[in-house]
Amino acid sequence: MVHLGAMQKIKPPQRIFRDDEEVDYVIVGVGSAGGVLLQRLARAGFKVLGMEAGKFWDTERDWVSDEAGSHQLYWNDLRITGGEHPLALGSNNSGKGVGGGSVHWAAFTPRFHPSDFEVYTRDGVGADWPLSYEELEPYYELLEQEIPVAGPAWYPWGKPHGHPYAPHPMGGVGDVLIKGCTKLGIPVSAGGPVAILSASRGNRPHCIYRGFCIQACKVGAKASTLITHVPDALEHGAEVRDRSMVARISMRPDGRTDGVVYIDRDGRERFQRARAVIVSGYAIETPRLLLNSACPGHEHGLANSSGTLGKYLMAQAGNVVLGRFDELIRMYKAPPAHALTEEFYETDPKRDFARGFAIQTVGPLPIAFSKQMMAAKGLWGWSMRREMMEYNHWAALGLLGEILPWADNRVELAAERDQYGLRVAKVTFRLRDNDKKLIEFGKNKVMEVMHAAGAVEVVQESRYAHLVGAARMGKDPSTSVCDKFGRTWDIPNLFVMDGSVMPTQGSANPGLTIQALAARTADYLITQGDAIFNSASRDMTPPPVCRSLSPPDTFTSGAPHLR
Amino acid sequence: MSTERKPVTDPRTGEPLPQRAQPGYYSGFKTLSQQAFWDQATRDVVLRRVEYVPPIRFFNEQEAATMLAVVDRILPQEDRLPSTRIPLLPGLDERLFENRLEGYRYEDMPPDQEAYRIAARAFEAMAQELHGQSFHLLPTLQQEEILQSIHDGKPLAASQLWNRMNVERFWMLLVSDCCAAYYSHPWAWDEIGYGGPAYPRAYMRLTEGEPEPWEKGEQRYQWSPPADTLSGAAQPPAKGSAHQSHPGQAGTH
Ligand SMILES: Cc1cc2nc3c(=O)[nH]c(=O)nc-3n(C[C@H](O)[C@H](O)[C@H](O)COP(=O)(O)OP(=O)(O)OC[C@H]3O[C@@H](n4cnc5c(N)ncnc54)[C@H](O)[C@@H]3O)c2cc1C
Ligand code: SF4
Repeated sequence: MVHLGAMQKIKPPQRIFRDDEEVDYVIVGVGSAGGVLLQRLARAGFKVLGMEAGKFWDTERDWVSDEAGSHQLYWNDLRITGGEHPLALGSNNSGKGVGGGSVHWAAFTPRFHPSDFEVYTRDGVGADWPLSYEELEPYYELLEQEIPVAGPAWYPWGKPHGHPYAPHPMGGVGDVLIKGCTKLGIPVSAGGPVAILSASRGNRPHCIYRGFCIQACKVGAKASTLITHVPDALEHGAEVRDRSMVARISMRPDGRTDGVVYIDRDGRERFQRARAVIVSGYAIETPRLLLNSACPGHEHGLANSSGTLGKYLMAQAGNVVLGRFDELIRMYKAPPAHALTEEFYETDPKRDFARGFAIQTVGPLPIAFSKQMMAAKGLWGWSMRREMMEYNHWAALGLLGEILPWADNRVELAAERDQYGLRVAKVTFRLRDNDKKLIEFGKNKVMEVMHAAGAVEVVQESRYAHLVGAARMGKDPSTSVCDKFGRTWDIPNLFVMDGSVMPTQGSANPGLTIQALAARTADYLITQGDAIFNSASRDMTPPPVCRSLSPPDTFTSGAPHLR
Repeated sequence: MSTERKPVTDPRTGEPLPQRAQPGYYSGFKTLSQQAFWDQATRDVVLRRVEYVPPIRFFNEQEAATMLAVVDRILPQEDRLPSTRIPLLPGLDERLFENRLEGYRYEDMPPDQEAYRIAARAFEAMAQELHGQSFHLLPTLQQEEILQSIHDGKPLAASQLWNRMNVERFWMLLVSDCCAAYYSHPWAWDEIGYGGPAYPRAYMRLTEGEPEPWEKGEQRYQWSPPADTLSGAAQPPAKGSAHQSHPGQAGTH
């Protein structure tokens, strides 16, 4: 039996497909997007197999309430980072193991705003999405009930909406955000939106405010696809093949894929036949796999006839602003994510840059905090020891700022190889003028809030979070990798579906949008049926929203007051 | 073997303060005393950290002597009784021996193992070049002048070795590794008043900085770093480091 949170146990030996047994879908990566796709497609009756490079976690045995002991949650295999503003990766960015990044996310779940889908039209920068907010909205509503999201009954920003579960109580950092913002007349959403249970649901207990969300929630109160969608997928006949690293996607001479080559848990290279493949490996590993799959006829990687594969990689500016208070805060308690403001989200003509930012609570534990002190104040030696003794007097707020998509912020292949002999990803990143102005303004605003809350000292560190893009969707095959359902323009039975399809990323954390997009693509695949496997014709009609494929408990508890 | 280090002092009198079993403002607070309320997996991980000190296998004897002296300056512990000092080098050595990565390498940095080998040689070479003496035998001030120059990205000597990497990034890697070793230890949690593991019991006093029934409130006292240290004050990063995210950075949101 495998533990999934404190109350849920499942028996993992599931259906096991033979390598020569042709499955309908292989999904590469069972993370935020992959977990949702797997569950939907299994419920709809497809033979579906999720290949996951990392482990199928047992939350009681594998996860700990300990910062250093949680290192294994992250993608620790080698990547190269460079450019003028290289991105810190690893624990700062992506996960490995069933659940992917949803295992260690803070679980902030704001929706994107309607404006995010037409950034180019409105502001003349970035790109438009090939779909509108209205097309995604029903999936936001669905996922908010499935995972579910706790937050206020009236959320004022973007398209106003309510949340199915009650908001959480404030922690010390939330109090700071409210206090500072109230002084400055800035509204704050208190207690969410976060995908953390404020009351139990089914076999998932409510949050116990222990503050280890980023170290994975042993309690099972914080949503990860490992506990929200994967159990239901297994129940409905899906297989999750863990510790299986997909090395390349196999191509037939007729321009269709026939499966994937992967390295199994014993280090053997194997081939799994499939009628279609969906790549959901994260904004770095997805382009890496498509590039590593280059073969005759696809010399520059799969689905790259546009030359945009790997390009337009984005991160959000995630500067951490730290404030020291005379009184005690103890920011290690409560989920780091519990209050935010999106008051500065939209483009404001009075500012000298396009787009905007959010301000969110964060709650670094001691190791993370010491590194922030190193970066923000240059501390080491006695000054580090002394400042760390003040840990309980500090509060931290996070900026979340939109960085625009630029072609040369990108993922390529490096010369180095990993433990499987595969070329590793090289990530190149550089901020542009708009990005720098936005960060400067946003950072100063967060510092102002911190001062207004009564901080006696305010410092900050630069940080970048939430990599998306690099296999973007679009309307035009010459400037994008896939269409609005994630179907690649070049290969009719190859899909990309994860954060890498995003054309822009707003200043909302991407996880909910990634899961909503995955649920929508699942509906599309289900509606298309065998056409995906046999035909190259491309039906762009949005599928009807299917409400019968949600995991159990979705509609039995928690309903938003306002839709 | 190493030279005498000066004590921390009372700022009012300038007198040395006695070493403590537990420095910090939470006297009597012991996270380990709560271990019965932790889950088994967490208890195993934390207790192993306290009870098992891995042997030095990555660094050779000379490198280890140098690096021990280096980490002793990065996080000095002369205010602690020798029996309650937290070992820093063994954890770093184990990480390098096992080649445990953070998941990435900056393009202007060699692999971690190589970076640390070069650095161990470079610290020693700097000591020899500047003072004709091994790094670990130098007095505090001379050791810290060398370290300070690495912090500043302007090595005082051994430039042919330091040229092989981005020096500021190495500094951050080094400080990060030391902080991870120190602040993962329950004795350090006691020092800073951090409550530690809380599953399955939970935290219940979420606001106003109130302690749980089993936590302690603050009992502050005054202390000053030793008179001969360069590391006693904040050294805000240079303007050139704007927009740089640093090695070992942890995720937040
Ligand atoms: C510390 C931290 C906090 C965060 N907080 C938030 C938050 O509060 N809210 C939010 O919305 N987002 C948050 N995020 C971001 C969020 O985690 C990611 O955006 C999201 O998980 C990305 O989803 P994905 O489906 O694109 O990829 P992932 O969830 O990363 O899934 C990809 C999966 O694919 C697997 N994989 C990759 N390549 C292969 C291969 N070749 N073969 C087999 N398997 C493979 C990986 O192991 C992984 O499990 C946070 C991230 C971090 C690091
Ligand atoms: S704070 Fe709540 S959601 Fe976060 S890890 Fe703890 S119990 Fe889980």
